[in-house]
Amino acid sequence: MNKGTSLNNDASENMRRSDEPIWWGLFSAGGVCFAVFVPAAILFIALLIPAGIVGPDALRFERAHSMVFSLPGLIFIGMVICLPLFHAAHRIRHGLHDLKLGTEHLNKVATYGGAALLSVLALVGFAIGIL
Amino acid sequence: MTTKRLSIQRYLPEQGNNTPYWQDFDIPFDDSTSVLDALNYVKEELDGSLSYRWSCRMAICGSCGVMVNNTPKLGCQSFLRDYEGPVKIAPLAHFPVEKDLIIDMGLFLDHLAAVQPYLINDSRLINDSEEGTETFKQTPAQMEKYKQFAGCINCGLCYSACPQFGLNPEFLGPAALTLAHRYNLDSRDQGKKQRMPQMNREEGVWSCTFVGFCSEVCPKNVDPAAAVNQGKVESAKDMLIGIFKG
Repeated sequence: MNKGTSLNNDASENMRRSDEPIWWGLFSAGGVCFAVFVPAAILFIALLIPAGIVGPDALRFERAHSMVFSLPGLIFIGMVICLPLFHAAHRIRHGLHDLKLGTEHLNKVATYGGAALLSVLALVGFAIGIL
Repeated sequence: MTTKRLSIQRYLPEQGNNTPYWQDFDIPFDDSTSVLDALNYVKEELDGSLSYRWSCRMAICGSCGVMVNNTPKLGCQSFLRDYEGPVKIAPLAHFPVEKDLIIDMGLFLDHLAAVQPYLINDSRLINDSEEGTETFKQTPAQMEKYKQFAGCINCGLCYSACPQFGLNPEFLGPAALTLAHRYNLDSRDQGKKQRMPQMNREEGVWSCTFVGFCSEVCPKNVDPAAAVNQGKVESAKDMLIGIFKG
């Protein structure tokens, strides 16, 4: 029943391990952040403060500055910017695959490369701020 | 008795007609008429040239899978009473069609065989020992771990439902990956190490994008989408262990 497919156990190049667990791991971690921390950040920054429920002093420049450029600030950047970026990149990449756009390699470089670039940018910003 | 219009996709390449076409039939039906009953009626009363697979009539054998109004269904488990207006019957999607409603399941069977879906346990191969003649023992709790995934009847509906299998037929697909997971979860089995390389491939668990339609169409409620995604966790763990072991 040979349909030109190669599922033979001896065809070692076809048994190559996928690198997908890495992207799937970042996607999963980003998904949790998207579901838990991003809505909390939006609630706080975009709703509670503008609505006046939390006073404007909560994000006064000096206070915001000291909060962001600290260890909790670094964790915040990771959870609200970097990991959600990889989550979004993963969805875009698989969306492109479903729409039969681009190639597997090109899409990976473009989406995860973009996420990595923006993450590095955020981390460089953090490094500049803390120094 | 009222009648229902059935549009059946015909394909008769051996008669020199290489283009599929639709043929309409009016079928008398009542509340108990299944799609399979309707096909049998066509074959016996209206057009004996219609070809389709069937056997048990009770969702055990898994051979009467067809597209009913573009959704993969078992003919014996779908009833004309549930469909408003005419009913469209076509061969299962994503498979090569041999004739009328008969598909070539060869690739599906290759994928099943690739994951070695049977108990692998060397301890029972020793014939001369007393142990070798003993039956495998399993507690209800151990059985519960895989029982959910053991109900597959190999009907292929999940492959017709899977858009990723449609895009890439090299994808091992829902049923094969579910069976692999089912044997990996079995306390009597020692074959996980042999199955993981297949699951770890790009065309293994990682081609799945968790659409979930496979679980919706499964006539035995096996939930292949859950099995495949648990398989992703296993594959990710396997990769991590591989990294630490070097």
